[in-house]
Amino acid sequence: MQSESDIVESLIRSAGRRVEPPEDAYGHVFTVAHEAFRKKTSKHRERMWILWAGAAAVLVFAIALMARWTPPVAQQEELARIARVAGEVEIATGDIWRPLAEARARLTPGIKIRTQADGRVALTLAGGESLRLAGGTEVMLDAPGRLYVPGGTIYVDSGARPSGSHLEVVTAVATARDVGTQFEVAVTGAALRLRVREGLVALDHGGESFRGQAGEQIAIDGKGGISRASIAPHDTAWQWAEAIAPMPDMDGKPAADLISWVARETGRKLAYESPLVEQRATAVILHGDIRNLSPMAALEAMLATTDLAVELNGDTMEIRARSNAPTGP
Amino acid sequence: MTDPSNPVMAELVHVDRALAHRILGGDEEAFRELFDRFFPRLYRFARARLPGDPDAAKDIVQQTFCQAIERLDTYRGEAALYTWFCQICRNAVADYYRRSGGSQGRVELLEDQPNARSILESLAAPAADEPETGVLREQVHRIVEATLDALPGNYGTALEWKYIDGLSVREIAVRLDIGAKAAESLLTRAREAFREAIAGMI
Repeated sequence: MQSESDIVESLIRSAGRRVEPPEDAYGHVFTVAHEAFRKKTSKHRERMWILWAGAAAVLVFAIALMARWTPPVAQQEELARIARVAGEVEIATGDIWRPLAEARARLTPGIKIRTQADGRVALTLAGGESLRLAGGTEVMLDAPGRLYVPGGTIYVDSGARPSGSHLEVVTAVATARDVGTQFEVAVTGAALRLRVREGLVALDHGGESFRGQAGEQIAIDGKGGISRASIAPHDTAWQWAEAIAPMPDMDGKPAADLISWVARETGRKLAYESPLVEQRATAVILHGDIRNLSPMAALEAMLATTDLAVELNGDTMEIRARSNAPTGP
Repeated sequence: MTDPSNPVMAELVHVDRALAHRILGGDEEAFRELFDRFFPRLYRFARARLPGDPDAAKDIVQQTFCQAIERLDTYRGEAALYTWFCQICRNAVADYYRRSGGSQGRVELLEDQPNARSILESLAAPAADEPETGVLREQVHRIVEATLDALPGNYGTALEWKYIDGLSVREIAVRLDIGAKAAESLLTRAREAFREAIAGMI
């Protein structure tokens, strides 16, 4: 007769390792269960909001009666503005989607935006960050500094944002927090891919925190496995985000401003052929509308009217004087 | 029902209620934690009751998660959250059999058979070659799997590390990021919980 402890050991040994479910089942069930979770929590939040709103309304009414004062209608904080749209883009405040062009909606907390396969959209968030959605992407603007991505690919450029604030990109797989940077998050079911183009991104996943640095790609597969790879800041993979970049107003500005902006948007180092060429770029004033062009096309179009030319050499964008052109300011 | 005199169960239910509360509050990490903890266990739970039909097992687990999340605000901590999920899964399996034409093909579980304890003891002994023993061994595998799945926290995993992977107490301590004494104590509690759970099952 074996002891109780021996029986435990022998049973576990003879039974062997527990069977793991197939990976595709994990991903499929996760996606459906996560949708149920989203619906449940939004209903729960709505119910809680109604309760709180009811209580608050009673309180405000009582105070208003006491003070003989009528409260102004509350305005929800605007979280973003549409900066540029291409293709089919829709917007929803609940479950009813409408074309963005018809919506004329204020982008307030809880609003959802999605792009069809041919659609791209760029938003400017209230914190100054540029948020861009690739085709087949959905995003919900949750709160100031936080957005939720159920699926698809987004690009964030927080370069223009005031220091001190951090944007949180929440997904079902992990949460990415930027630390002054340009980065892309792609979510497909239970898998996530983070690409960092500039700066640093913190990624919280399964109770652990990872750091993604410029030029790094971190992938989390459907089973939670993590792998790292490299991606150059000027890789062609970033081109979709460049194509929808909202063009700053360059009319009346020095060519040097456009050149710096294009270098950053295309992830390249900027080099001038000589100090004289750099002075020239500062002296040349731009005129015209380049809003619907990609950064590089806009730069080439603008420089065509000057005595400056652009040349790409690996990771560097070089500005040179055109042959036989004067380079003095 | 939870036995309030059992401190392990009381702690487990406390943790589970907090987890359910976080999920209802929209905490993504909490949802992920629940899914990662329960998905493999529920899949095995369903698969054992739907042999030879992995697609049906997947559908049942999916249905279980959706129903459980929908009703999560009714979870009051009467039992461990996993037990609560298992009950929903069990009902989903029963519905499946009802829809697919009665109880034909339903699995007869070892815990429903007489003399189960002596069967378990005999199977814990060195392997025999008889075909009947092979069938029973499969059932023991399932019942041990179910018992490990039902243990709280890391107990099931720690027992597998110890007895299947052959890890030392020190190695287990490193994996769990705890001290060697705490790991030894965890293993003792895990063995005790396993013994109690399997005794309760038969």
